Amino acid sequence: MKPLLLIGLGNLLMGDEGVGCFVAERLAEDPRLPESAEVMCGGTDMFRYADRMEGRSRVFVVDALQDKGEPGSVWVFEEPFPGLDDRQEHAHHLSVCQAMALLGMTLAVRFTLLGISIPSAAAGSGLSPALTSRMPAILDRVLQEIIGAPEALLFEI
Amino acid sequence: MKTVVIEHLARVEGHGGITVELEGDTVGSVRFDVFEGARLLEPLVRGKRYDEVAAILSRICSICSVAHSLTSLKATENAFEVRVSPQTELLRELLYRGESIESHALHLFLLALPDYLDYPSATALAADRPAAVLLGLRLKKLGNSIQEAIGGRAIHPVNAVPGGFGRAPAVEQLIELRNGLIEGVADAKAAIDLMASLPAADFCHSDTIYAALRANVDSYYAGDEVAVVSDGGQTIVPAADYRTLTNERSVPHSHARHSRFQGKPFMVGSLARLSVNPGRLSGSLAAPAARLDFRLPAGNPMDNNKAQALELAGDVERALEIIEQLLRARIRDEPPAPVHPRAATGTAITEAPRGLLIHSYTYDGEGRILSADVITPTALNAASLEAHLRQTVEQCAERDDAVIAKRLQMIARAYDPCISCSVHLVRRR
Repeated sequence: MKPLLLIGLGNLLMGDEGVGCFVAERLAEDPRLPESAEVMCGGTDMFRYADRMEGRSRVFVVDALQDKGEPGSVWVFEEPFPGLDDRQEHAHHLSVCQAMALLGMTLAVRFTLLGISIPSAAAGSGLSPALTSRMPAILDRVLQEIIGAPEALLFEI
Repeated sequence: MKTVVIEHLARVEGHGGITVELEGDTVGSVRFDVFEGARLLEPLVRGKRYDEVAAILSRICSICSVAHSLTSLKATENAFEVRVSPQTELLRELLYRGESIESHALHLFLLALPDYLDYPSATALAADRPAAVLLGLRLKKLGNSIQEAIGGRAIHPVNAVPGGFGRAPAVEQLIELRNGLIEGVADAKAAIDLMASLPAADFCHSDTIYAALRANVDSYYAGDEVAVVSDGGQTIVPAADYRTLTNERSVPHSHARHSRFQGKPFMVGSLARLSVNPGRLSGSLAAPAARLDFRLPAGNPMDNNKAQALELAGDVERALEIIEQLLRARIRDEPPAPVHPRAATGTAITEAPRGLLIHSYTYDGEGRILSADVITPTALNAASLEAHLRQTVEQCAERDDAVIAKRLQMIARAYDPCISCSVHLVRRR
């Protein structure tokens, strides 16, 4: 099992809200991705992938971030994710912050959230021009975090 | 005048909240605002080929992706008069049971249980009572494993295709699932015991109208007739006449349209399924129903949680039965039934974990979508939920904001609404 896992979250049919999945799809084919990392597109339910997180040294979660930041900016949040809204805002499944907290407790996995500022979340396939133009910079920044992780040097054969 | 507002039930700003206005002891307006992603995604399938539609619309919701996928396929097959094989029927039912196990476990243990035990969240509950949360996560994982093995991947299944199944699961996969389900029987029993130990949630009483698929067999997928039941009797609505059931109308305060049957709100979901099909409570579910003191007709919407727990136990057993049937019948790959597109309309209704799900499509002669109509259980429930929210406040002797807010949240959550699950993002504080 590779020590690092990157999960891109989002819905590909909700425009920029799906940016996490778009990033995962692009990274999966990126030759710069270290051998120690595996990439998955996770849809909108992190719990479905609990099995695949178990035993990892670290899990990077890439998700859309609703803030007033410049579209495409990448923000890094470490547990316990200060500054993020951790309320249960969904009657149907857990919020990202709550899901990471619960999975961290039950699986002993360390999470890092990479939030990408988006201008809006609305129905539609594909990213906005603003995010599309920033995608190379987004990928660079996400890769920088993965490659810079101490666990990236580990690789179980 | 006093206003009680619960803002944070959805991820979409300005949507998914509850607002109650009180004038002394008199309840003024009660509003539940639903952001309904399904409506926004309907236009995305216009012009798409019949074999692309299910994969697209399964993305309306990650928790209910199987329900959307299979309802979509059923609507398409109804339009083109395709009859699938008995093996495909069983595999689809098994897939559906996997989703129901997963969804009910998630809702009961991670969302409803903290309410009953007065914890602010599942994480707070897990810190104090890890065994309860781990039990829920084991059951959820069991549901996930069924969906992944049968559907071909963890979310948005790819194996279910128009006319049949892409690849049948291997015998070894079914045996592994069977072993997991045998362990799941004990976990489901523990879930019933846990639910039976919870404090009573007895603060809303109401004569409720229920609507669910009426099926000769215990199925979430089969059936083409909806039964609407109330104290006064039963009315049958064929799937093709679903608009007489839904009678959708816009309301100024909500993104989703409200449905009323003969002018009255109705409830869909687990409690409705058991109310319409009370025979499901005989046999092996009789003892768990007695353990939960679950009785029909139900006049308390909080009993939807008990109904979900009973379905959870029934789903595990039914999934086991289906696997045994598939193994006895020597499951094998079989080609999907041929699909011959034509200009036609097809409608399908199935039972998603949280109630009736309707997909209706009109195709052109080339098998491309001209129009699509998707009506989710949350939209069908919206008017009923508002009525129950109102009754909850009216029946609350205490005019304490915190008490009222807690009860309103519990009622809303008991409906297990899917408010904006097509959207998934984080926000800064």
